[in-house]
Amino acid sequence: MSATQELKIVFTGPMGAGKTTAITSVSDIAPISTEMRNHDQESFAKEATTVALDLGHIGLEDGTVVRLYGTPGQDRFSFMWEIIGRGSMGVILLIDGSSVNALPDLRTYAAAFARIAPEQPFIVGVGRTRADDDVELLDACAQALASLQLSAPIFSVDVRKREDVLLLIDTLLASLELRELDQV
Amino acid sequence: MSTNQRFDPEVMRTGARHLQAFATANPDVTLAVLTSGDGFEVASYPPNLPMTARIAAMSSSMQALSEALTREAGLVENRNLIIETGSGTVMILGLATTPRLSLAIVAKSGELLGKLLWASRNLGTKLEGSLPK
Repeated sequence: MSATQELKIVFTGPMGAGKTTAITSVSDIAPISTEMRNHDQESFAKEATTVALDLGHIGLEDGTVVRLYGTPGQDRFSFMWEIIGRGSMGVILLIDGSSVNALPDLRTYAAAFARIAPEQPFIVGVGRTRADDDVELLDACAQALASLQLSAPIFSVDVRKREDVLLLIDTLLASLELRELDQV
Repeated sequence: MSTNQRFDPEVMRTGARHLQAFATANPDVTLAVLTSGDGFEVASYPPNLPMTARIAAMSSSMQALSEALTREAGLVENRNLIIETGSGTVMILGLATTPRLSLAIVAKSGELLGKLLWASRNLGTKLEGSLPK
């Protein structure tokens, strides 16, 4: 990876998976946020929801700037997934591990972004897991991806923790570096 | 959850009545959608078109982006977003209501931009004044 380049990474996943929190946890600047009052408490009981995008950035030691884009989670904003996904170097897919829809959500977003950014690596971060079912859930996630002929590194994460989010980003950057090396 | 459960029926009825009157007075207006901040349709003219839910989601995203851009540019009091096309105009206006609502207006190119803006702002003022707080 050459110095002083800019990379675009997309955080996606369903409503309430922690995309805004993840970007806020690691961004060097206060992220640009488009949160509005959430009228869909039935889908996810939280006060506010992203309706357009989140945008933060991290400056790496070699001068590379990583721009972090977050998508809105709901289907009705899927037009934003297409817009934000354009030109991305990789995708971090966040899933709420405590949701009964964790696996369907994983399949939905993995399939969507495999179509929107087909050549780009993606990483899965599963949040709100419990210690007793963590391994089982991550295995189920791997199987769900395999059913779509996809594979990706999968981590159990707490997106409120900067180091957990950096782990996802570092893994994605390492995937990009490996790809560059393969192409040499 | 249906739209009916999500919003006060009185807000929906009042919104629909104002949109209908606005479209009648401005015949080049082809579509008007009153939208919640998080992209749900509250009322629309004409009512019950399949496209209005999508227009509602898109207009709320664009309203939020224009507000974010306003903040980044160091400006204040975002008022409206205007998209001029070869065949018409789209106008998105934020309303000073609680909860936050916005208004998306689509008009054919026959409508003068200034007149459309003036009429749309008047509609916005009427909605702000008449919707239950």
